[in-house]
Amino acid sequence: MDTKRRSLLKAAAMAAAGSLVTTSSTNALPILPEGNDLPSGEELTWNKAPCRFCGTGCHVQVGVADGRVMAIAGDKAADVNKGLLCVKGYHVGGILYGKDRLTKPLLRRDGKLHEITWQQAIDTIAKRVMRAPERFAFYGSGQWTIPEGYAAQKFMKGGLSNNHIDPNARLCMASAVTGFLATYGVDEPAGCYADLDRCDVLIMWGNNPAEMHPVLFSRVTDRRSRGEKVMLIDIGTRRTRTTDAAEEYLEMKPHGDVAIALGIMHLLIANDNHDKKFVSQYCNFRGAEADKPTLQGEQITEEEFRKRIAKYTPEHVQQLSGVPAHKIRMLADLFGNRNTRITSLWCMGMNQHTMGTAINSLVHGVHLLSGHFGRPGDAPTSLTGQPSACGTVREVGTLSHALPGGRLVANAEHRQQSELFWKLRPGSINPAPGYHTVKMFEQFTKPTSAGGDIDTIFVQVTNPGQTLPNLNALFNQKNGLEDKFLIVSDVYPTATTQLADLILPAAMWVEKNGVYGNSERRTQQWFKMVDPPGEARDDCWMTIAIAHRLFELGHAGMKDLNGEFIFSIKDKAGAEIPIWNYDHYYDTNVDKHLFEEYRQFTTMKHKNLAPYDEYVKARGLRWPVVEQQDGSWRETKFRFAGFDDPFVAQGKEFEFYHSTTGDGRAQIWFHEYAPPPEVPDENFPFWLCTGRVLEHWHSGTMTRRLSPLNRAMPTAYVEMHPDDARDMNIRQGELVVIESRRGTTELPVWIDGRGRPARGSVFVPFFDETKLINNCTLEAHDPFSKQPDYKKCAVRVTKLAKVNS
Amino acid sequence: MWQRYSTMILVCIICVAVVGYFVGLNGGVPKTASINSAGLRPESLPHSNGVGIKESSKVLAAMHYSSIPQTAMGPTATFRETAKTWPIQASYDLFTEIKPNEADKEVSSRQRASRRAYNGAPPIIPHAVQNTSDAACFACHSNGMQMAGLKASVMSHPFLGHCTQCHAPPAPAPFQNIDSEVATSFVGLPAPKAGQRAYAGAPPTIPHSQWMRQNCLACHGGPNGWSGLESTHPWRTNCTQCHAPSAVLDQAIKADSIPMLPPVDVANR
Repeated sequence: MDTKRRSLLKAAAMAAAGSLVTTSSTNALPILPEGNDLPSGEELTWNKAPCRFCGTGCHVQVGVADGRVMAIAGDKAADVNKGLLCVKGYHVGGILYGKDRLTKPLLRRDGKLHEITWQQAIDTIAKRVMRAPERFAFYGSGQWTIPEGYAAQKFMKGGLSNNHIDPNARLCMASAVTGFLATYGVDEPAGCYADLDRCDVLIMWGNNPAEMHPVLFSRVTDRRSRGEKVMLIDIGTRRTRTTDAAEEYLEMKPHGDVAIALGIMHLLIANDNHDKKFVSQYCNFRGAEADKPTLQGEQITEEEFRKRIAKYTPEHVQQLSGVPAHKIRMLADLFGNRNTRITSLWCMGMNQHTMGTAINSLVHGVHLLSGHFGRPGDAPTSLTGQPSACGTVREVGTLSHALPGGRLVANAEHRQQSELFWKLRPGSINPAPGYHTVKMFEQFTKPTSAGGDIDTIFVQVTNPGQTLPNLNALFNQKNGLEDKFLIVSDVYPTATTQLADLILPAAMWVEKNGVYGNSERRTQQWFKMVDPPGEARDDCWMTIAIAHRLFELGHAGMKDLNGEFIFSIKDKAGAEIPIWNYDHYYDTNVDKHLFEEYRQFTTMKHKNLAPYDEYVKARGLRWPVVEQQDGSWRETKFRFAGFDDPFVAQGKEFEFYHSTTGDGRAQIWFHEYAPPPEVPDENFPFWLCTGRVLEHWHSGTMTRRLSPLNRAMPTAYVEMHPDDARDMNIRQGELVVIESRRGTTELPVWIDGRGRPARGSVFVPFFDETKLINNCTLEAHDPFSKQPDYKKCAVRVTKLAKVNS
Repeated sequence: MWQRYSTMILVCIICVAVVGYFVGLNGGVPKTASINSAGLRPESLPHSNGVGIKESSKVLAAMHYSSIPQTAMGPTATFRETAKTWPIQASYDLFTEIKPNEADKEVSSRQRASRRAYNGAPPIIPHAVQNTSDAACFACHSNGMQMAGLKASVMSHPFLGHCTQCHAPPAPAPFQNIDSEVATSFVGLPAPKAGQRAYAGAPPTIPHSQWMRQNCLACHGGPNGWSGLESTHPWRTNCTQCHAPSAVLDQAIKADSIPMLPPVDVANR
């Protein structure tokens, strides 16, 4: 590389950073100086990668020059985004270059952080695990790449015989998983984004895709610009940018969605315009057991279903949900018309819900009962918030009860298969599910003497110190517990690293190879393009290095049946490549080896993946991907539909081939409405809902280091109804204290802002690490998915001036 | 005889009453001096009908219903008055001779650069846009406009909804005083200065990607293009006929070298 140019680039980088501190202007795009040597663009090498942020899975083109990411472009060849991005995606390149990147392993001694070597860090972790493997827990992420999650999974469940591995996706889409399992017997949406191009009606259930999945939302609204007609219906608890584009806004009370879904089904039956042919051929009815409800439930007759649903008349639903009866009738009439194509979208509104499994199943039920299923444009589709919540969490099964490929630790046959694929001695995998996220942190923050039996947690690619609910109970109590040890691998200092005992600097995004899986079953691969800064290293390497240190220390689980290291990779000559030594980690493509091993797991649930090299060529492929007679690989857009899904038996229009009832049918569920776990009262009179904004992604560690985004949204806030604010004499921008039974946080008020909540409710985004709204949220969770409800709890709002006086 | 006079007197009285009625209607209520008191009179703001409105006061002077449409009122009153004093944008002549100069180009480049994280990034929005809609963006940015030294650029891409999906706005009004500076060492791709020419006078190649910049005249000409970047021949309509795009910048076809057949194999050489 031309050293003169590189130094110029460095100088430009320093000048850019320097100018930011002194000027208040916005960006720092250098102007070409006279006789400059900076890249003009022709020298850039472009390479594909999925965007680092949400679950939409847009592809970006990353422009690299002199070992630095310098430009981003929407990928025109990508079917997901067709060349468009959102404001986060366009600036994703900058996430690598925050000034405070972590570059050295840091160990806390006597309350202070000290730089240590990687060798010391790996050794410290390995020895701690060796001492008490059963007290160790791994907390991962839907931002883990598939190989990272797979390695962690194999290390924990195979190597350590320890099932205490759970991802942050537990907080994000666990209820979507249980909804799919309860309805179809197998996880993940049947439809895909192509439904958005065909639907006549798009119903958004507690969902704000205009901000959270903007590329998908504008894909629909841009159809209108082209003269097509599509009706948008927004069912929610506050007005949002999505509402602005919607024909209908149905404002519901919290938990009203359950009543609305039941009301639609009631009317479909009462009006006798449900799809009798579809239901009689492809569906069963199901309800929860009276005494001990399970995820599988029990079969009920259509007669029984009619009896149970009879009381959910539009008037009763109006009472429960606050949505007028005639609007419920309007929805039911839409579903009653088979010629209208209806797509439902949902995300956190239905998932972060103490009735999450129930409402997910009910919305699937509405689509099944009305036959709005399986034709392009007719789909119940859940969206994910993280780039690989589907790929790494749901498919690799990095949840405390799961094994790769839709397997369960509690199932002996599944354990056997996994041990076979992993070449482990029989009985290696523990049959008891481990701790789910809330339980894991409860056990970690509880003193050992009081029964807290987790003493070490390794956190990778996530920020629980900001995103767990009820932080005071589940995270902050770790402070002062001397025997508890928190290991955090991250790229920037975060709320979590504040309490970490060992901080590991991680490589991120295009600083490493990776594979993600997006919301529409699309598996996406990318290559490393630039080097990570300082001593930052791949998360996958960390896991393998710890495993190898344990192997050296003689841990039996780190040896397979042949006595070899469980992550052993051999070169062509048969010699082992020392991938645990970072200098040799990129001697081979570790991702490819792990991916090919993982592929064996995917056929049982018909989530077949293509070989790694196929993904190198494609902008992602939607599973099941099957090999054609000519040797090419074909992806599947519409699952369970005979015209597209290769696993539907010849001649059948639909087949739910993983049906829980074993008869090829999906389950239409009945669930009784239940009120939310905490309801506003005299002391805590407001509903609190939390969420996100367009410009920031999740806990903001990446987006808050991007100038254009931080300029657009520099702080978290609390949205209030103007009448509520007036009654309390609160002005625009004034600081208030939000207080729940669990904690408090201070925020400025935004009246008539981007979102407009209903009277008696407030909304706070959670991206701001200086204003932690999760001090207030509730850890109450769904009984099946264990996913907490971040969308509703009771708070009070007090003017800060009053608190201080 | 008195009967005859009485008829005439009655006619006179009716005439006077009718005339008086209409005169009264026209003349209105007798004026008193106090209505035009200084308290309601604006000192500084000239008003189209001679009567003024004090900016801070919510009291409006009475006026004829017919004059309301021509009267500036409400929060835009000042703006509407001052806007009248601005010169009207000169009509655009496609065939005016253009002499691009480097100084203008430098100024334009700087302004464009100040709104982009890298060349090719969607520009951030340099003005307040709180609670505005796509229609509001489109009103100024569809064809662009110039007013009082400000310029609304022309959209260089086809109409796409949800403008703030790609173009980041400034902070919302209540949070504008919050320090939003970030410390970063990101260096964006600089704006190119010029395309390549095969020889002096040859048409230059396009030095940027064409994606999202399909409308060349948005920047390179027209009434609201960027000074210094204008085309000297805006009447020509098929730009890529002469100006070659770049496969690299468009991320079009990936090729390490240009594939060619082997050279001819001549036996007697």
